[in-house]
Amino acid sequence: MHSTSPTHRTVRSLSVIAAVTAAGLMLAGCSSSGSGGSSADATLQVGSIYEPQNLDNTAGGGQGVTEVLNGNVYEALYKLGDDGKVTPLLASKYTTSDDGLTYTFTLRKGVKFHSGDELTSKDVKYSIEKVLAPKSQSARKSDLQVVKSIETPSADTVVVHLKQRSISFVYNLSYVWIIDHTAKNLKTTEDGTGPYTVQSWKHGSAITLQRFKDYWGDAPKTDTVVFNYYKDATAENNALQSGQLDIVTSEQSPDALSQFENNSQFKVNDGNSTTKLLLAFNDKVKPFDNTGVRVAITEAINRKALLKSIWNGYGKVTGSMVPPTDPWYENLSSVYPYDVSKAKSDLAAAGYPNGFSFTLDTPNYDPHPAAAQFIKAALAKIGVTVTINIITPDEWYTKVYQNHDFVATMQEHVNDRDVTWYGNPDFYWGYDNPQVTSLIDQAEQSTTTAQQTAKLKQANEIIVKDAASDWLYLYPQIVVAKSTVKGYPVNGLNSQFYVYDITKG
Amino acid sequence: MSVDTPQTMTDGPATVTAAVPRRRGSRRATLIVGCVLLGLVVATALVSYFYLPYPPEQIGGGRLAGPSPTHWLGTDTLGRDLMSQLMIGARIALAAGGGSVLLGGALGIVLGLAAAFAQRWLDDTLAAVLDILIAFPTLLLAMLVVAARGATLSSAIIAIGLAMSAVVARLTRILAKQVLSEQFVVAARTSGTGWLGIIGRHVLPNIWPTLAVNLALQFGLAVLAEASLSYLGLGAPPPNASWGRLLQEAQGTVYTAPIGAIAPGIAIVALVIGANLLADGLRDVFDPARRTR
Repeated sequence: MHSTSPTHRTVRSLSVIAAVTAAGLMLAGCSSSGSGGSSADATLQVGSIYEPQNLDNTAGGGQGVTEVLNGNVYEALYKLGDDGKVTPLLASKYTTSDDGLTYTFTLRKGVKFHSGDELTSKDVKYSIEKVLAPKSQSARKSDLQVVKSIETPSADTVVVHLKQRSISFVYNLSYVWIIDHTAKNLKTTEDGTGPYTVQSWKHGSAITLQRFKDYWGDAPKTDTVVFNYYKDATAENNALQSGQLDIVTSEQSPDALSQFENNSQFKVNDGNSTTKLLLAFNDKVKPFDNTGVRVAITEAINRKALLKSIWNGYGKVTGSMVPPTDPWYENLSSVYPYDVSKAKSDLAAAGYPNGFSFTLDTPNYDPHPAAAQFIKAALAKIGVTVTINIITPDEWYTKVYQNHDFVATMQEHVNDRDVTWYGNPDFYWGYDNPQVTSLIDQAEQSTTTAQQTAKLKQANEIIVKDAASDWLYLYPQIVVAKSTVKGYPVNGLNSQFYVYDITKG
Repeated sequence: MSVDTPQTMTDGPATVTAAVPRRRGSRRATLIVGCVLLGLVVATALVSYFYLPYPPEQIGGGRLAGPSPTHWLGTDTLGRDLMSQLMIGARIALAAGGGSVLLGGALGIVLGLAAAFAQRWLDDTLAAVLDILIAFPTLLLAMLVVAARGATLSSAIIAIGLAMSAVVARLTRILAKQVLSEQFVVAARTSGTGWLGIIGRHVLPNIWPTLAVNLALQFGLAVLAEASLSYLGLGAPPPNASWGRLLQEAQGTVYTAPIGAIAPGIAIVALVIGANLLADGLRDVFDPARRTR
């Protein structure tokens, strides 16, 4: 869905600040006295602007929760790699019944939680049910609704019964953190199986990860990793420039990059994110219920030029909802290329020879206002008048997402594999094509991933042909690191950032 | 500074004699500089109706092109000409300042006079209401107006005008009460002059100079307030090139293309200082005591 809204950034009470200050002073005292022992290189300093609100991924803590904890502190049965591939992690293997409704997972042996408890099937059952619990705020809750029941015949065997076939089930399990079923206070403490433990959390400033000595797999390459949190990107970039940071997880503007681009001390990585900027029409209301109109609008907007304006050469125009890390990715940007005269004639053919006017509900944070002005100028050329209505993230959520009270809007969609939302006619954009809904259903019921991939490719091609939305561009994922730092992920899949392979060099 | 200052007067005591011409000269300079700055902005706004280097919303130049003969102040991230946007911004700034002063001034003067002429209890009530209104933060008031009417230039003008009217009303009330207690007003009243006559013939002419100075100051504050509102996204919606919004948009590129922030910044400062200097100069012109000193 949409990215974390500013409302998630809560104001902290004075008492917490006081406590943090006190803790900070104590830590400062400790570190100055104890810095003689280990070398400073054993600590990797990571910079980020996404401080989590809590440490629980079912409690609405924002994308920072995934960034610092996923794969580092918590592990799932399966792992989504930086390349978008799913591989076994805490499960060593699984078998499925012929009807595809029963999955039997065998757990890896000798896995220990940070509390010292042994991993058992009980923990897996607890963890899946935690995501499905009524009060869970997990974004993946709806994907797991397909689970009917979970059995634990032995300590290392988990049997999951599904309501219907779900080819994405194993992939969806890569979001389900396996948590010790006896763990408490998961918003402030953790009990995962990952290569790192959370050693300390200085609210408003940093989370320190420490190597877990009893980790079942290969030991992480760096003993201590500190995620340093910044309120604004300028301070973060300055910290990298001055050597306080080794790596920055995700740059949000191209204009700070010039200081790193032509500097051999740093490396700027242009990876693929899964975040798309959408011009989303309300496909149920006039004039955007008319496919010809949507096609004309798509043709009238020079997406490459827009991307260049906002990201100055970074990012990609993909022409669809599917990011390159999804298995069913195809570049479809040439289906409706930029062509103003064709846009004009298509608009006339759709019944609007003199154009029309509409209001574009635009979220008030970057890059939406700038992109909206670009769209307004572009559409003026085909006689379409745009009124830009600036709204807050909260207004967007109620007006657009809940009440569908809009004609057109803009939004960034951050998830991977989210093209399937076009199969839901009740989603906010109101796209309703029975053929697409059926293809997406069939894809989920597939018996092989090849079949699933083929069905979703087919569905996506129809969605693009219908110009259901205008997928303006795919955000870049820009990681900047000291050039000696190696082994970090370069693609931003749902904001995850695995740190265990990173070396400082 | 001024030409008639004796060049040898570098030491202490002699400056006493030199002080008079210097002050007079600097006073005049205040008024002139104020008028020139304000005049420049007004001229820019007028010119923008007949000539703009480019249509302000035209996306043509490169991304963040620096100043050049084709784009005098360069372009923004979308490739729009900054000079053209700045010229359009002058209209918006003047409309915001002028509109707010008209609204706030008219409302404030009427309210202030009403309070001054009213019964004791009504006067007290109005005074209390005005005090509360003055204590209410302008930005918060603006947010309420924007929430009710949507983010437009007129919303901003209404919000700023309302806030301003309280200040103007309080000043008008005090000034008018002073005049009303003068002997000649009492005489006019006893000789049967109506309240409209008293306002027109005695009150307004006497309080006008002070009001004018205050309104000039308020104009500067209104320009600043509109820029703040636009900066926060509560003013004229994009693509209206309000100076405050230009500043906001240039924020992300302030290191790579500082001119984008410097140019609207200077424009805002010039107009506000212009208004303040004009107010200062007017005060000296209107104030007989200061003029003859």
